[in-house]
Amino acid sequence: MIAVEKLDFFYGASQALHGIDLRIPENRVTAFIGPSGCGKSTLLRCFNRMNDLIDGTRIGSGRILIQGVDIHDPDVDVISLRRQVGMVFQKSNPFPKSIFENIAYGLEVQGVKNRRRLEEVVEKSLRGAALWEEVKDRLHTSALGLSGGQQQRLCIARAIAVEPRIILMDEPCSALDPIATAKVEELIHELKRSYTIVIVTHNMQQAGRCSDLTAFFYLGRLVEMGRTEKIFTNPVQTQTEDYISGRFG
Amino acid sequence: MNRNPFAHKSSGSQWVERLVFGLFRAGTYLILACALAVFATIFWKGGGTVFQKAAPYVNWQFLSQSPETLYVFQHEGIKMELGDREFRAFKKERGLDAIKADTYAHSAGGIWPCIQGTFWLVVGSMTIALFLGVSSAVYLSEYSHGGQLVGLIRLAILNLAGVPSIVFGLFGLGLFVHFMPVLAGVDDPSVPSLPVGFGYWLNFSGWGVCLASGWFTLALMALPVVIAASEESLRAVPKGFREASLALGATQWQAIRTNVLPYALPGMLTSSILGVARVAGETAPVMFTAAYVMRDAGGSSGLFNFIGQGVMALPYHIYVVSSKIPQNQYTERVQYGTALVFLILVSGIATTSILLRTRMRKRYRW
Amino acid sequence: MPDSQSTPAPERSVALAIRKEKRFRPLGLTADSAIRRFFQGNAAFAILALVLIMVFLLREGAGFFGQNSRGIRVYRLAGLEYVDIIKGQLDRHAELTRAANALRLKIYSDALAKGAAPQAATAALAGFDAFAEALGDASEDVRSLASDLTEQAAAVKQREQIYQDSIEQKAMLIRAGKAGAAAAVSSVAVDFGREIKALSASLPIYKDANRLFAKKLNASLAMAGPQSVPAAWTPQLSGLKAAAERYAATFPEVEAELAAWRYDAPVPWYRSVTAFLFGRQWLTASFWQDWYGIIPLFIGSLLVSLIALLIAVPLGVVAAIYVSEVAGTGEKTWIKPAIEFIAAIPSVVLGFFGVAILGQSLRAVSETTWLAWVPGFPMSERLNAFTAGCLLAFMAIPTIFSLAEDALTNVPRHFKEASFALGATRLQTILRVLVPASLSGLISAILLGFGRVIGETMVVLLCAGNRIAIPDFTQGLGAFFQPVHTMTGIIAQEMGEVVPGSIHYRALFMVGIVLFLLALGINYVAQRVVQRYRISIG
Repeated sequence: MIAVEKLDFFYGASQALHGIDLRIPENRVTAFIGPSGCGKSTLLRCFNRMNDLIDGTRIGSGRILIQGVDIHDPDVDVISLRRQVGMVFQKSNPFPKSIFENIAYGLEVQGVKNRRRLEEVVEKSLRGAALWEEVKDRLHTSALGLSGGQQQRLCIARAIAVEPRIILMDEPCSALDPIATAKVEELIHELKRSYTIVIVTHNMQQAGRCSDLTAFFYLGRLVEMGRTEKIFTNPVQTQTEDYISGRFG
Repeated sequence: MNRNPFAHKSSGSQWVERLVFGLFRAGTYLILACALAVFATIFWKGGGTVFQKAAPYVNWQFLSQSPETLYVFQHEGIKMELGDREFRAFKKERGLDAIKADTYAHSAGGIWPCIQGTFWLVVGSMTIALFLGVSSAVYLSEYSHGGQLVGLIRLAILNLAGVPSIVFGLFGLGLFVHFMPVLAGVDDPSVPSLPVGFGYWLNFSGWGVCLASGWFTLALMALPVVIAASEESLRAVPKGFREASLALGATQWQAIRTNVLPYALPGMLTSSILGVARVAGETAPVMFTAAYVMRDAGGSSGLFNFIGQGVMALPYHIYVVSSKIPQNQYTERVQYGTALVFLILVSGIATTSILLRTRMRKRYRW
Repeated sequence: MPDSQSTPAPERSVALAIRKEKRFRPLGLTADSAIRRFFQGNAAFAILALVLIMVFLLREGAGFFGQNSRGIRVYRLAGLEYVDIIKGQLDRHAELTRAANALRLKIYSDALAKGAAPQAATAALAGFDAFAEALGDASEDVRSLASDLTEQAAAVKQREQIYQDSIEQKAMLIRAGKAGAAAAVSSVAVDFGREIKALSASLPIYKDANRLFAKKLNASLAMAGPQSVPAAWTPQLSGLKAAAERYAATFPEVEAELAAWRYDAPVPWYRSVTAFLFGRQWLTASFWQDWYGIIPLFIGSLLVSLIALLIAVPLGVVAAIYVSEVAGTGEKTWIKPAIEFIAAIPSVVLGFFGVAILGQSLRAVSETTWLAWVPGFPMSERLNAFTAGCLLAFMAIPTIFSLAEDALTNVPRHFKEASFALGATRLQTILRVLVPASLSGLISAILLGFGRVIGETMVVLLCAGNRIAIPDFTQGLGAFFQPVHTMTGIIAQEMGEVVPGSIHYRALFMVGIVLFLLALGINYVAQRVVQRYRISIG
């Protein structure tokens, strides 16, 4: 689904990613792990070109292909790309609007005005994010009134409302309590049937619990990537083992 | 007996510190006392003109009439003080032709045209300044990614903020009053002109001393204030809103329109009120571009006639009555009265802005 | 938007979906980039505004140098310069006479103070009075010659002016297509050579008059014997006599200068610029010769600003230190907005306050006897540089205060904590750690306050006294209490009365350009100071 080839990435003069090479298969959950500042979030934000918004960032060399199309090709429309590659952020960031408006936002900016269709999509997305039962009676109240876990699931619902093929999650549970985390993880498990998911996490257990594949990054380089059980039980590199067993990071 | 090593030392240094802090405090309070003195004097002396002891406690005549010449004369042994219109009515009524009267310009009547003129100046210039300022701020904080142009823009804004107001006045005089093109049906031979077809010419004869010239001059002056205020409000909107919108496939303008501007706009408007105070309080730029010494309220109808004519303005009126006319006991009334009304207006605007801004900052916490 | 987006099509490939669609793009712009351009254009308007300000100040002001150059040329051609050489000589003589009168007054009041009766004091000075009178009358002949010459030269200048006007009128008629009317306009060029001959023919007469002048001067000096003044004043008298002798010795120089003077000597191109930048006279609407020298205005502006800063800087900085370091939170919450609120008082209201109240009160204070030791007290004028300076200080305080307060609060906390941890007192910490650490912030606050003060118009227009003259700095600090005129004030005062396009109009724009450049310069320096400060902290 996603293929990264020899990617070098720079913030101004400092290089954040060094020759990354990896492949992310379809309908699987792929986890990126590694200590802070290892470049895992940066790589994630390359996939929907969110890094374009940060001043002074640039791709040095290499390319990112999604289904064989270089996403930095001048022929690629970044807006359409972002509709296909959704994203959930570390800090839940619902808009200060109603729950309904939050979910419908992605469709509204595409020009969908049909009220019936919007209602359908909102319900479907909220069900998809396992939030429907909790909020169906207060769709038109402010999303800021939801709890932290609910807000994050709302953000996931909002992301899937535009029917992307890939969902990027940037430490989606780092600000949540264990119960809310469990719900989100459960949801991720559900979602992988229809979406390709890439999740960045600090939490080893989380990576172990919900991902199929794991990639370990260190200092801007991809150290090792493989099936999650293998990475966790029998890593090839000693660095990976040290990190997973908690000797550093 | 053990000496306590932490005991207070009653050495000289503590006294010095107390003395110096006392002096600091005295300096601070001196400033405040000066401010109080200025306010109190103007309130005390102007209060007699603007307020009155009986209901409705405000002297509406002063606020609602035009300035008039005051006539002071002796009539049948009584000293009379009448405004221009009353004086004429008085003469007519009594059938008197020649009354020997002393005249004092601007000393009777009120200041309504000045209030009106200042109002229109502020409304027009702030509309222009807000339009330009808000869109500049949107570009600078939402679209731009550094680079030379942005550096240049920021430099220009910074320098614009430091340009003395009188220089803005000169600029307005040179550009708007003496140069800006006017559309006319004839080719004015005395100035450069540009034919636009259909029998019309753009004559570069300038707009003259008028409301429009004042608007643009003042708008440029307020621009740095408005841009700074708008940028501050835009920065207060969390980055997450923009990122989430964009990640959902919104175009940048959609993200700004739906998830940035609505939350920043109230803050922009309230902070820009400070710009209003600046615009309303300035005299120097207005005196060459828009203000007349005397002008009746209302005047001609029609939009173009309206913005094409000069106005009276409170600050200019204060200047006129305090330095351009001979001083005597009769001018004091209108001097202090105008100063008081103006002070109340401007400080009222400034207070509103400060209060609203504190409230906004408290309310919008994400 | 195509509706393919709204129907889910899982089998549809992402690769296809992210391709750009063929959309209608006028001028190669999508709607979004057009909007972006729109905002960019509006932002760039700030640059445009600054450029326009420069362009239009220059457009209106640039013609000044040409006009001024012509003015100075005519000044020479018509012989005004020649006459001014003689007038200069007479002016120096008048100074001498004034000095003699001042000395007489001193001796007289000294005698009165010593208990002499007025008549007796006058009688004792009879010898001196005779000398002074003779000294004053010595210049008679030269003066009457000078006044004849003045009329001659002024008439030549006026004829030249009429000739220039007629040329302009002709040109205008021709442009309007009225060639006949243009031909009818009479225009006679002035033959300066011939006119000057009449003027310089007076040189022998001048020389005679001058000889007479010198003789009379010497005669008057001879009258001033040592007995003409009380013994205690002899040194002063001989000082005066020495000055008179030195003056008499310059006569041959003046004659030589007159003889060497040529009406057709070229006026150097830079003369018009230096006459503006270094000219010590701003003299307009005069029948003789207008001078547009910015120096008296510039010095007036600087003097007023200096007074304002001398008051505002200590108060503003002290208040900033008090509010940020000493005051309790309760005090802080109201003092800060209260001081910032002062900035909202319109300058014209403060100016009015100065005219109506402050000028009078300051003069009343200056007249009290126990303040008589202050130089310049009692003030001779109610409105002077000091009155304006006080009000400007009041206006600058909020600017200096809030910027200084920012600079102080921006000093990293650990600086302060480290100082306290070493056992320093609060005062020591403030003076030795906080103030030095925020020094560049404080300096830039002061600079921006200076920028605000020098650009302020209404207060100086109303309260500075508006006398166009370089203050008399020989009085030391007394110069603070003299009326001055300023660059901003002159523009505001005279712009309303000048004809657009005239040299006077353009001269006022030149003053505006000087102000503009000054403001840019102050801004630039303030920014450099702040930048350097950032680097040193980082």
